[in-house]
This record gives sequence, C-alpha cells and structure tokens, in this order.
Amino acid sequence: MNQLRALWPYVVRYRWRFVIGLLCTLIATGFAIQVPQVLRWIVDEINTKGIVWSDLQWAVLLMLGIAVIDGIFRFFQRVLILGSAHQVEGDIREAMFQKLLILDQKFYGDHHTGDLMTRVTNDISAIRQFVGPGVSSLVSAVLMITGASILMMTTNVTLAIIVLLLLPAVTVLFILVGARMRAIFRRVQDLFGEVSTRAQENFSGIRTIKAYTQEEPETVEFLRVNERFRAQNVRYVLLSGLLWPTISLVLGSIGALVLLIGGQQVAAGQMTVGDLVLFNGYLAALGWPVVALGWTVDLYQQAVSASSRLAEVLQRQPLIRDADHGAIDHDVQGQITFDNVGIQVGSAPDQRWILRNVTFSVGIGQTVAIVGATGGGKTTLVNLLSRVQDPSEGRVLVDGHDVRSLTLSSLRQGIGYVPQDTFLFSVPVRENVTFGRPDATDDDIDQALLISRLSNDIVQLPTGIDTLVGERGVTLSGGQKQRTAIARAVLRNPAILVLDDALSSVDTHTAAQILDGLKRFRKGRTAIIIAQRIATVRDADLIVLLHDGAVAEQGTHEQLVAHGGMYAAMYQREQLADAVDNA
Amino acid sequence: MTIYDDEILGKAYDGRLVRRLLGFVWPYKWSLTGAIGLMVGSALMELIPPFLIRTAIDGPIATGDIDGIWPIFLLYAATLLASFGFRYAQTYVMQAMSQRIIIDIRMAIFRHIQKMSLKFFDHNPVGRLLTRITNDVDALNEFITQGTVALLGDLVRLFFIIVTMLILSWQLALVSFIMFPVVIISTIIFQKIMRATYREMRQRLARINAYLNEQITGVLVTQLFGREGRSRQFFTEISSDYLKSQFKSNNTFAVFFPTVHLTSVSATALLLLLGGQLVLNDVTSIGLLVAFTLYTEQAFGPIRQLAERYNTLQSAMASSERIFRVLDTSEDIADPAAPKQLPTPVRGAIVFDNVIFGYNPSEPVLKGVSFTIPAGQAVAVVGASGAGKTSLVSLMARFYEIQQGSIRLDGVDIREITQHDLRKHVGAVPQDPTCFSGSIAQNIRLHDDTITDERIRWAADISGASSFIHKLPGQFAYEVRERGSNLSVGQRQLLSFARAMAFNPEVLLILDEATSSVDTETEAVMQQAVQRLLKGRTSIVIAHRLSTIRYVDRILVLHRGLLVEDGTHDELLALNGYYARLYTLQYAEQLGGSAAEN
Repeated sequence: MNQLRALWPYVVRYRWRFVIGLLCTLIATGFAIQVPQVLRWIVDEINTKGIVWSDLQWAVLLMLGIAVIDGIFRFFQRVLILGSAHQVEGDIREAMFQKLLILDQKFYGDHHTGDLMTRVTNDISAIRQFVGPGVSSLVSAVLMITGASILMMTTNVTLAIIVLLLLPAVTVLFILVGARMRAIFRRVQDLFGEVSTRAQENFSGIRTIKAYTQEEPETVEFLRVNERFRAQNVRYVLLSGLLWPTISLVLGSIGALVLLIGGQQVAAGQMTVGDLVLFNGYLAALGWPVVALGWTVDLYQQAVSASSRLAEVLQRQPLIRDADHGAIDHDVQGQITFDNVGIQVGSAPDQRWILRNVTFSVGIGQTVAIVGATGGGKTTLVNLLSRVQDPSEGRVLVDGHDVRSLTLSSLRQGIGYVPQDTFLFSVPVRENVTFGRPDATDDDIDQALLISRLSNDIVQLPTGIDTLVGERGVTLSGGQKQRTAIARAVLRNPAILVLDDALSSVDTHTAAQILDGLKRFRKGRTAIIIAQRIATVRDADLIVLLHDGAVAEQGTHEQLVAHGGMYAAMYQREQLADAVDNA
Repeated sequence: MTIYDDEILGKAYDGRLVRRLLGFVWPYKWSLTGAIGLMVGSALMELIPPFLIRTAIDGPIATGDIDGIWPIFLLYAATLLASFGFRYAQTYVMQAMSQRIIIDIRMAIFRHIQKMSLKFFDHNPVGRLLTRITNDVDALNEFITQGTVALLGDLVRLFFIIVTMLILSWQLALVSFIMFPVVIISTIIFQKIMRATYREMRQRLARINAYLNEQITGVLVTQLFGREGRSRQFFTEISSDYLKSQFKSNNTFAVFFPTVHLTSVSATALLLLLGGQLVLNDVTSIGLLVAFTLYTEQAFGPIRQLAERYNTLQSAMASSERIFRVLDTSEDIADPAAPKQLPTPVRGAIVFDNVIFGYNPSEPVLKGVSFTIPAGQAVAVVGASGAGKTSLVSLMARFYEIQQGSIRLDGVDIREITQHDLRKHVGAVPQDPTCFSGSIAQNIRLHDDTITDERIRWAADISGASSFIHKLPGQFAYEVRERGSNLSVGQRQLLSFARAMAFNPEVLLILDEATSSVDTETEAVMQQAVQRLLKGRTSIVIAHRLSTIRYVDRILVLHRGLLVEDGTHDELLALNGYYARLYTLQYAEQLGGSAAEN
C-alpha cells in the first residue's frame, strides 16, 4: 500500500462508506454461505423421503429468503464501495485538472498532451478499479473462502482439505499467466502502434509517395508490418486462449475428485448425497473468489504504477507562481523595463543563452516594436513580461516592480496578449472574444470586433457571433482566428497590449485597417508589437532589433534607417518585396 | 474524433453489409467450418458432466458400489480434457482466422486509399483515414469473433441443453423452463438500460476528454487571461455529469447482479420444490434432480450473452458502413483500360494544350493555358501567389485531373498511360519536403532497391545534402524520426532534392523552392542544388526567388490563371512588361542586400 500513499487522502474522506460497504459484504457473505447448507438438508430429506410437502415449501422459502437478504446487502455493498470508488476517481480527476491549470510551460514542454490525457483518464481509472472492484472482490473473496472453508471442514475434513489444497492453483495460474499475457499484450500494442504509424506516415506523405510511384512498395511494407502484428497477436491468443479453459479444467478436476472421493464415501455410508451436493455448491461458489484473488493482484500492480504517474503531477510545484510571501496586488499602469535580461536553456553540458543582456525601457502609453529574424528570441522576450517564463538573469519590471513580486492574477490582468499561434476554444465566437472579460457588454464587444475588423466576417457566419468555432463548428481562416484573438485581447481593456506577430495571416489591406484602429485604441496604453514586417511598426516609439538573442540595434525608425545597419537593410528588402507583390 | 463517430449507431443487422462482410470471411470458410465444428464439440462436452453426476448418484452411490465410481470419474476427467482441447482449439482457430481477415480488410482499405488522387486526400483528413484503418477495422474483428461464431455458439449451446433436458425428463425440463422467461426479460430490460447508460457515459467521457485535450493545448491562453477559475468550474460540472452516469450504471449493476443470482437460486428452488415432489413420488430420481439444477444454470449463460451480442453487432455495422463508404469511393483518376506506352527512350517533351483546371470545377485556377517545352529545356514559372503555379506543376504529374484540354508527354496524352509509367519519368519534388521514419539512405531511395549506395552518395553530393549528412552521427544510417522531426526544414528540403536526383527522372518538377524558414547558408546551397538538378533536363520550376530564373532556359509568367508572358530572360526584359518589373525589383533588392552587408 506504500506506493499508493500519495492518493490516500482522496480515499480516506470516504472511509465510512467503505467501512459500511465492507460490513455489508460481511453480512451478505455470511448469508450466502448458508445456501449450500439448506440445499444439503433438502436433498437429504428428499433422498431419504423423510420430508412432507409443507416442510419442503418452508425449506425452499428459507433458501429464497437467504438469497434475497444476500442480494440486498450485495446491492448496498456495490453502491457504497464501487460508488465511492467513482467518487474517488472524480475527485482525483478534478485535482489533476486543477494542477494542470497552474503548471508552467516548462512542464508542458516535458509532457506530451497524449501522455497527460492518459494520466487523467486511464491512470485514474486504474485507481478506481483497484479501490472499487479490487478491494470489494478481495474482501468478498477472503470472507467467502474463509467461511466456506470452515463449513466444508465441519462437514468432511478429507474432502475439504483436497478442495482447499487445489483451489490456490487457480489463483497462482491467473497471476502467472496474467503477468505473461500483459507482457505479450504490450508488444502487441507496440506493433499495433507501428501499424498505425505506418499508415499515418503514408497518408501524410502521400504526395511524395505518389510522385515517386511508391504505392506498391508501400503496400508491401504495410502488409509486412501487419503480418508482424498478426504473428504477435496469434502468439498472444495462444496464451490468452489458454487462461479460461485451463481455469475451467482445474476447477472441473477438483469437482471430479470431489465426485470420486465424496461419491465413494457416500457409497460407503460415511457421507450423505446432500453432503456431496453441498461440496459441489461450495466449489461453484469459490470459483470466482479464487480467480478474484489473482485479479486483485493484477489491479493492485496497475494501480501502483498509475498512482506514481498521478503523484508526479499532483505533487509537482509550478515554477511560475506567486511569491511565497508578500506578493503584491498591483494595478498595472504600463511602464516596462527589461533590465539586463538573459535566458539560458538546456542542461549542464549543452547550456546556452538564447537571450542575453537585453535592456530597454518603455514609458506608459508608448509603443515598442521588436523585430528580427526567426529564432532570434522575440517571443521568448515578450513571454517574460506576463511570466510565461522567468528570466535566468536580470529583471523585468512593470511600473518599477519586479514582475515576480506581483501576484500573477494582477499582473496578467493588466496585459492583453495576442499570441503567435492563435488558439481558440471550441466555443461560440462570442465566448472566445469575451474569454478574458466574461461580463463585457454588447457595446464593448462590438467595439472590440470593430477594432479587429471581425464585424464583417461575423455577419457571414451561420449564426453570427454565436457560431461555434472549431472541429464541430465552423473552421475559421487563419486571418479570422488571428483577428478573433486580437478582439479577445482588446476587449480585456489592458494597460499593456502585446501583439506577437499577430497579423501574419491577415491580408495587407485589412492589416492596415486593424493597425489604424489599434492606433487609436493604443492611446494611453503601452504596446509591445512583434512584427515580421517593418511597415507595420515604423511609427513605434522604440524599435528593438533582436539578433542572435541580443539587442543588435534600438531606436526610432528614422534613427535606425539613418544608422544604415541591419535594420536599414531589412527595411529596404521589405520595400522591394512589396513592390514585387504589388506589381 | 473517433469518440464521436462511435455515436452513429444504426441497426444491429444489415443484410447488405453482412453479405459484404461475409465476402471477406469466405476465403477462410474451412477455418470457419473448423471453428464451428470445434465449438459444437465443446458445447457437447459441457452436457456430459451433469449427466455423469446423475449416473454416479443414481448408480454406484445409491447402490453402495464404491469401485463403480471409478469409471465415471475417468469419463469425467476425459470429458474435462476433451472440453479443454475443444475450447482452446476453437479460440485459436477462430482468432487466427479473424486476424487474417482483419489484415485482408485493412489491406483492402489501404490499397484502395493508395489509388486515390490528391483530391481525395484534400477532402479526407489523415485522422479520419487512420480511424477507418484502425478502430473501425477492430470493430469488425469483434463482429467476426463475437458476431458469427460466438453468436452461433450461444444458440447451439442453448439448443443442446434444452434438447438434453427434454430427453432426460420432460417434467423436470418444463419446471426448469419456468425461469427462462424471467432471465430473458430481466436481461433485455437490463441491456436496454445499460445501452442508454453506456452511451451517455461514452458521450460524457468524450466530452471530458475533448475539453481536457483543448484545455491542455490552450492552457497558456487560459492562464494569461486569468480564466483558471472558470475552467475549473466547468470541468467540475462535466466531471460530475460523468460521475452521475457512472452512478447510474453502478446502481443498475447493483440491482442486476443480485437479480441474476436470485433468478438462479429461484430456479434451483423451483426444481427442488416441484422436482422434489416428483422424486418423492418416484417419478424421477434424486440424481437427475441434481443434474437438472446444473443444466438450468448452464442454460442461463448463453441466454444472457445473446443480449450482449446485440451491442457488438450494432457497433460493427456502424464501422463497416464507414469502411465500405471508403471502399466505395471510386478512383477519380483511373488508369486507362488499355494504356499506351511512352516512346522509348523517353525524351521529355511537354505540351500543355488549352488546359482548364480548378480544384472546384466552377472556380477555374488555370483558364486555358497552352505552351510547349521541348525535351531538355529548363523552364521557370513565375507569378504572384494564386496565379496557378502550383496547380500547373501538379497537373503535369497528374495529381489532379484537368477539366478541359490536354497535357502531352512526348506526344502522348498523359491520361492514356498509366500513372506509374508517367511518374517514373516525371519526378516531382513536393512543396512540403516529406520525410519518413527510417535511415537517411532509406529516405533517399525510398523502397527502390535498385538504387545503389553509390548512387545515393552521388545524389547527396550533387544536391548538396552531403555536407549536413556527413555531420550526422552514422551519416547515411542516421535514423530520421517520424515526419523528419529531427531534421531542420532546410535539411529536409535538401534530402528531397537528393531523392529526386537518385531517381533521375527525365522530367523534373520542382513544386516550390521557397522556404522562408531556411538560413542564408542553406539557402545558397539549395540554390546551387537546383541549378545542378535542372542541367540538361526537361524541368519546370516554380520560382519564388527570381535568382533561380538565371539558371533556366525560359520563363513562363502566369497571372490570374493565364499565361501572360513567355520567353527567355532577355526577351522578357526587352518586352518591358510584367516580368520586367519583377526583375528590376529583384536586381535592386540584391543591390540593397549587398549595401547592407558593407
């Protein structure tokens, strides 16, 4: 149980339900093991013809009565224990989700979405399986085996010993074969993964495959992978197909031995036919419990590995969080200073700086543009402002406060962010736009849509602003998505607006209109704009040119052009390219 | 996603679909017959133990014949072994068969998809095709194992037990049958409730998964916009919705299992009460009564399972419907019934004759384009984005079918030869440089083993890929990961050039050499590579960078789906039209670039 300790708090809050549930198990088992006793009595009475019709009626009613009580307590057992297990599962699921919501980008960089999904679904379900059906059938099995053993011993010691010595074979068989089956099954799954990967590679690379007429050899290759999968699957079937017939064989053999030895004793007059029926009854009743013991071992092992994966997330502390003491709630005004900021990535031998010695300041209401080649660290730099990541050295100050000294919520409340990769949720456009300000009025929304030039597009959507976005709704174009994200940020009414290459998918004409609208909106607000095109940002108060992680040039457009350096060259190239496109 | 597809459930039996499915089973009819035979054998074996128990109780045990039990025991043991053998063999034969059938179906889908034109792939996302070939095929596996043999097995078992009971004692048999309707009705009611509950659970779980997936992907947006609280609240809502249906299912089971137990105890009780009366009146024996309690119990199993098979069949029908929809999609680009041969040797002369084409026929991208490229000439296609450059080149490889006009290679309409023949001679370097998991060498030669290692090295040298390949650990043996994720875009582009060189086609199409995400050094290497690729070969290059045009013999200028200018660089400059403007700007850009470096 040691490995499961991390999840103990989620179980312990339902302890009374578990305890009562287990008590129900005890009572139900107590009644259930009486049925063969009644059966024996009836059979013997019928066999010796010493019973009258009315007594037979009473005996049968007794048997039914026992079964009814057994059933009622089984009902409560299931509702209480398995129901609580579902509760535990739900609680852990919510706890996991809460944790996922506060974890940092470093964590998300280290864990694939698929992996995290597996933890929140399969792993939690493995815990539930063990806490519910596992515990419940383990206790049931132990009680049933104990009770039946005692009653069998009081009836016929020799026969009881034979049964009890042979039954554990089923449990052992289940554990051994089960473990081996799991090992092979994992390989089957791996091969299935290969089948699916091959198909995926083929479908996504179909242009190349067709261009080089590789359809035939691809088909041959796909068949080969499939054949390997099949061979492994057959190997699995050879083993798994063995499990249940073997268990039946073992249980059947015990039954046969009971018939032989018990039958001989009855023939010799040392035992009654009823006793024989009783043994058969217990044998039938013990079939599942002995399998369940093995099954529980299996469930336990799965729960242990699942719980370590869950604990890894649940116990993880987010790197980006409010200072432990005295984080300040600050109403962001918009003065920004990057003070000798640097970011280092990688671990010891391969450490390198992707940003170094970055220093610049922006006053309230000013606009700063960050330009430079792809991979120059522009996005990383603006990410420091809203603490998506913290710098390795230096400080980022907002209104003179180190951003790390402010509460995350107050800091981010002051920043409207339009990320490079637009992410919209599969909810109506309206909800996407009001994402950062759910209480916005229709007027506010209209205003934001106007600035982002989304109004015209929305009119054309099937149900206007209430149209669902995403796979199950409409697919917005790249430009529409970006503009939705701009509306989302604008609606927040932030002191600082961050646009990370936010107009890359918007056509030039619309982009100009948006920039125009934003210019008015930006009044009194600080803006940080990352741009590929200089034309978008030439009238910024400050332009910072990042190159290889360092500030190569900074100044106003005029200053930088006059300087005749990298920026001036970039600008010239851009103008020429524009001329080509417009030609 | 697949979770949603799952919800489209129709009937559990559709004759048309089943007949088509059985078409896949037919080649394995002898395995199937074998599996059914073994299943009948195992069903017969199950009938013997209760009978032996009856024989023992009424025979040696009643008469006190201690040794008389031995033969019965031995028979019992033999029956168990035989039953074991039958069951195991049946499982094996059936699974081995179904695995083969599954591969047949999967390969049929795969082969069919391979024949589809790019239009099909434009309309069917990879994820959907993948679901067809994995999940849906799996559902069919269930159909074959659960739907055919197992279903038949349940019916046969039930039939045997009923007949045996009637033969042994019709009075006791009738008593046993009293509980049958109860079992049938309770199972049907239970299955009905559970079917609805399961569907509800699946939908709610799918909702949790979809939300979770989206929230994990977009967690940064949620954090930056301070929406963690609301996300948490919503998740709690959908989580407790799911919990509610889990409770519903749990409660249903909590009622059902004790009910099942109670019905079997009731069946025994009835037998004891009414059958006991028969024994007391010497109508029947105590041994037979005991045997009947066992038979009755045995009969309940198949009855309950029959109801369960319904669900399996239903989802198998839905899956096969989807699979057949793919298989029934006709090839929109088919090879001619009697394909012509290209004249040998292939020289590579190209004619576009009034070609009209649109991805959507009502919106033509190329509006009647005609030109002739003599063998060995390198041609660049220039024009603004959307001018139809990519379409033009795709059509030459017959990735799409033109609506009007004709395209001829060495005088033969490309629709009159096989696609295989065409593409063997017309090589295309696609827009998105595709890489596959496998070594660098495998990525160059693909599956063509006639391409020697020397040729691969030569191709890499010519295309300029050698320089980066030599820096990789293991060089040509370096394992490229899925989609080439461990190579840069530039490296992938060079690799795809090397591939083109290795295949050495008579006609070369370069769909796009523009890669904005390439550093200047790689860019220069690629420029040189393109130059070498074009040399002495019929080629059509889409030139985004005008520097490329310096290596070509001729330039085609496309504008809004029409060929507006055609000629050599000098001719076009002299024309002083659209191209001249493009070129002047390009020339000026180079001046600007070198000025910046100084």
